[in-house]
Amino acid sequence: MGRTALHRVPWKGIILFLLPVSVLYFLFFIYPLGFVFIIGLTQWNGVTAPQFVGLRNYLDLLQDPTFLLSVRNNFIWALSLGLGQIPLAALVAMILARKPRGWKFLRTMYFLPNVISQVAISMMWIAIYNAEYGALNKLLELVGYGHWARNWLGEIETALPAIILQQVLYIGYFMIIILAGAMAIPSSFYEASEIDGASVVQQELYITLPMLRGILVTSMTLAMAYGLRHFEATFLMTAGGPANSTSVMGIQLFNNMSFLRYGRANAIGSALIVLGVLVIVVLRNTLGRSEGISEIQQ
Amino acid sequence: MQYSLSRSLNQHLAILLKWTILLFFLVFTFVPLGWLVLSSFKTNFEFETKPFALPAVWQWVNYVKAIQISGLPRLFFNSILVSSLSTVLNLLVSALAAFVLSRLRFPLQNAILTTLTAGVLIPIIALMVPYFSIIRALGLYDTLWGLIVTYASINIPISVFLLHGFMRTLPKELEEAAVIDGCSLFQRFSRIVLPLSQLGIVTAGTFVFLYCWNEFLYAMLLTSSVASRTIQLGIRFFTSQFFIDYTAMYAAIVITILPTVVVYILFHDKIVRGLTSGAVKG
Repeated sequence: MGRTALHRVPWKGIILFLLPVSVLYFLFFIYPLGFVFIIGLTQWNGVTAPQFVGLRNYLDLLQDPTFLLSVRNNFIWALSLGLGQIPLAALVAMILARKPRGWKFLRTMYFLPNVISQVAISMMWIAIYNAEYGALNKLLELVGYGHWARNWLGEIETALPAIILQQVLYIGYFMIIILAGAMAIPSSFYEASEIDGASVVQQELYITLPMLRGILVTSMTLAMAYGLRHFEATFLMTAGGPANSTSVMGIQLFNNMSFLRYGRANAIGSALIVLGVLVIVVLRNTLGRSEGISEIQQ
Repeated sequence: MQYSLSRSLNQHLAILLKWTILLFFLVFTFVPLGWLVLSSFKTNFEFETKPFALPAVWQWVNYVKAIQISGLPRLFFNSILVSSLSTVLNLLVSALAAFVLSRLRFPLQNAILTTLTAGVLIPIIALMVPYFSIIRALGLYDTLWGLIVTYASINIPISVFLLHGFMRTLPKELEEAAVIDGCSLFQRFSRIVLPLSQLGIVTAGTFVFLYCWNEFLYAMLLTSSVASRTIQLGIRFFTSQFFIDYTAMYAAIVITILPTVVVYILFHDKIVRGLTSGAVKG
């Protein structure tokens, strides 16, 4: 009797338990998705009825140099994170996986900036990069390179690299993920290779890296997806300027929305969604299947 | 002889390189933050003329000014309210779902789980316009409830993922005994699975809470008045509130960072576990 009760499908209960999540998920994921793709095909100011215009928003976007520049910047972000941040994170993870003195402390410390809000971090970097009182210029003056001082976020040549660099060097998030993978590799692999006379570098190249392949592919995929959806630091530090040189798709979406061009804003939104999913699918299929972790946020 | 000498030289170089890398990232993580904290204790004159020196007199008055000028108490109150209620709402709906998805067997189970967790694939910034419209339509624009419902929903995928992963590992026998004792489905959830899932709930809860505390974009889009302003949005207004009183502004920023650092120090092992729970197979 008890066993059958456990295995009979209690539909009423299941539906009740899933009801709250379904309502919220429909309201904040399913419906918005449909909304973005459908409104993206219209011209709409949020007040009068939307007018169907087919693919015109998309064709307009393809002709818009600012939007194309933003897409290019998004890809620069994706590559900087995927090919810059991930190798750095992997390097540090591989060092920490050998448990040097204080490795737990270092792991905790490297991750700390990730729990601080992007707003606070951005305000800090605005202060560091500032032309007049910024710490970077003052530091350059101090070491005799005062002539290198400049308005880092205000000049077209330096604004984008300045925002990207501070972000790329915060490796904590991916370092922790890769470190967990590296520590899960059985130590017997290393012991056996040591007997065969393998050096540390050889062990890392021929044991750790191949064993981490799945996690590295996943991390790289995630990092590139983050690059495509990048918004906050740029919005806070330059709002896309100077002269749109740091603009990304998210900024263009926001600006179009502010000007009540909801149709175009949603066309950009659907481009963001499609590109993001595309990057994930393409990278997974070309770099090999990745295992495990599937948490992306924001 | 020469071979062993060069080998030990290489080893020394390797150790040097290793610690250079580790120290570089430690410096990058802390020196800018330390500079911000140090600056927050200086006069503005000191800040501009001696940017790297210790303050002659530690200006605690900056912190007093910070609290007075920025309206921090109100911002804190709003952020605490929004973050905790969002976290509770999110955990409640996610735990209910994770329970049936992990502890029962029924058709479409996997499809539902996949759909819910696939939400992480969607860039939330792409949904600015629909979220704005939905919150307006619900009559929640410029209210803290609008933020609470939005944050609780945005975090459903991550919470369901973490809680499902945790609940799946609990032994089946406990519930079998409960069913024989005549426990209802809700009693199995509330009396057996939920208490045993404490660790998973704390992990998911820490993630959601930090997300809500730090969220900026939707706090900006979905509110307009000071009454429903959260701390992150408040920081944005510091620049105009403090005008050229930079060091008091940095004091205000340091105050806003402190709670997350405390949460992190208390729960960092949970955060590490949450981050790595999906990372390692088997």
